[in-house]
Amino acid sequence: MATVSSRPARQLAMVFDLNKCLGCQSCSIACKTLWTDAPGMESMWWNIVNTMPGGGTPRDVFSHGGGYKNGEPVPGTFPPLREFGEAWGFDQEATFASGGKAAFRPLERDGSSPEWGPNWDEDMGGGQYPNSYFFYLQQICANCSKPACLEACPRTGLYRREEDGIILIDEERCHGYRFCAEACPYKRIYFNPGRVVAQKCIACYPRLEAGVAPACVRQCPGRVRHVDYMDNLEGHPYKLVHEWKVALPLRPDFGTEPNVFYVPPLAPPAFNEAGEFDETKPRIPDEYLREMFGPGVERALETIQVEREKSARGEPSELIDILIARDWNDLLGPFTANPAELDRPPRGG
Amino acid sequence: MTAGTLTSVTAERLGDASPQLLAPGGTQWAKVSETTVSLAPTPLDAQPSAYVQTSWAGRPYGALASVGLSAVVAGDALYLRLRWAAAEPRQAISDNDTYADACAVLFPLDGKTAELATMGDERSPVQGWHWRAGTALPFVITATGLGTVSRVPDHPVSVGAAWENGSWSVAFKRGLGEQGVPLTAGASVPLGIAVWSGANSERAGLKAHTPAWLTLTLPK
Ligand code: SF4
Ligand code: SF4
Repeated sequence: MATVSSRPARQLAMVFDLNKCLGCQSCSIACKTLWTDAPGMESMWWNIVNTMPGGGTPRDVFSHGGGYKNGEPVPGTFPPLREFGEAWGFDQEATFASGGKAAFRPLERDGSSPEWGPNWDEDMGGGQYPNSYFFYLQQICANCSKPACLEACPRTGLYRREEDGIILIDEERCHGYRFCAEACPYKRIYFNPGRVVAQKCIACYPRLEAGVAPACVRQCPGRVRHVDYMDNLEGHPYKLVHEWKVALPLRPDFGTEPNVFYVPPLAPPAFNEAGEFDETKPRIPDEYLREMFGPGVERALETIQVEREKSARGEPSELIDILIARDWNDLLGPFTANPAELDRPPRGG
Repeated sequence: MTAGTLTSVTAERLGDASPQLLAPGGTQWAKVSETTVSLAPTPLDAQPSAYVQTSWAGRPYGALASVGLSAVVAGDALYLRLRWAAAEPRQAISDNDTYADACAVLFPLDGKTAELATMGDERSPVQGWHWRAGTALPFVITATGLGTVSRVPDHPVSVGAAWENGSWSVAFKRGLGEQGVPLTAGASVPLGIAVWSGANSERAGLKAHTPAWLTLTLPK
């Protein structure tokens, strides 16, 4: 039986700072152009950024089962392509021939109008004006320490790299059974119908091997993404997760021990009826944040708040320095090589 | 169709020099007798994945009770045809959550002995011919245990399939002397059968199968 009991020698980890994300999808496009531009991959977004609270990718992303409860695997489903969002077509001809009168609309493969897609409910968020709120959530394979995907596969179609804990699908072994996609609670596995194989984020391992940071990390204009090995005690992931405890796993109740961590969103307090801040009422409901990031979220937000205030007073704060990342290269851990300067640059920039 | 379950099947020799037996619904097959072979679901506790065991607990699979088997030697090739009822055929994989109908025949790789329930082991592998709806070429697989199936890159097996009147007919062909399981005129070889129902999301070890080997005897 495919179980993963021992830990890899080293574990790659990432931290995404939800307070800095612009929702620009540069990360998504960087990944798309680098890895998923081949036939059969049209609708794949190994990295996608969604407005939260919201439906996510696929629709109602966290309600399809998978992961573990009390150590036992939880049955899951793999939603149909429409629920992820197809690669839409556009009827340019019809719009052109109508002199622009026919609306230029996206179309599904069967000619119908789409009802869902990546970041479909962009910027809708939750709450009522004036206490509405939202944040952007980057969805990516978290190279979990207890990878439900890998453990679900009856034929060892996935494996974990000893040198960095990255979970990969062996496309020679994969027979397209898709138990992995059902079992991943984050729904980060896609299906290539032409090749009948499952495909997912590969953490840009060929770039890492050349000392280059993953494309989504390197292309992020918001300086949201930190990457390093977790055993580097000076690295940002270790500092943010274990020392400052401000970076948290997403939906830790799924039990897969993800290695992507999130700095939770710090929102201003809610307005009261007089239109003034009510310091006792959070804008983003605590229960929602606890559900998303676990019980450590209040403490994490408190820490960020305290350190921000210190920084605002002109006092030094290691935490705020890390999160600001004044020197861009500090985000990249040991992966600071510039792909443009390599002898044989990996694909893409 | 012969009533009841037989555990032994003898291939018939077809004199026709230009066999069109890869057309599984063709007239040549109409002359060939068909044996009803009983199938049963594979045991759930043998599925090599805790996830599969948990998510399929209490969920029926492998419900197809029987398959019709016909065997012919024509020219210097063996043809095996499987025929089974599929009211809701799944002719291709059309979406993330759809699965195609499939079938396979299995032999001990040496043509003599292997454990069927475990799909072989290190010392005695099995070899199978696997067809999945929507693909023109069959897969030839070898295995040395559950979960170890691997595909043979170049192989001499071909397949023809048709769905008609609520039934699939799938015919496999392999030259007797060709690479793979030894198929010798006059000799017998153990044979297993498996069928996957795409409509029920059956794939991997979730299937209807022959719980024990049949014996396939080739004409002299
Ligand atoms: S996020 Fe999903 S696909 Fe990635 S390692 Fe975890 S369980 Fe597997
Ligand atoms: S590139 Fe950075 S800022 Fe833009 S959506 Fe991605 S994580 Fe957010």
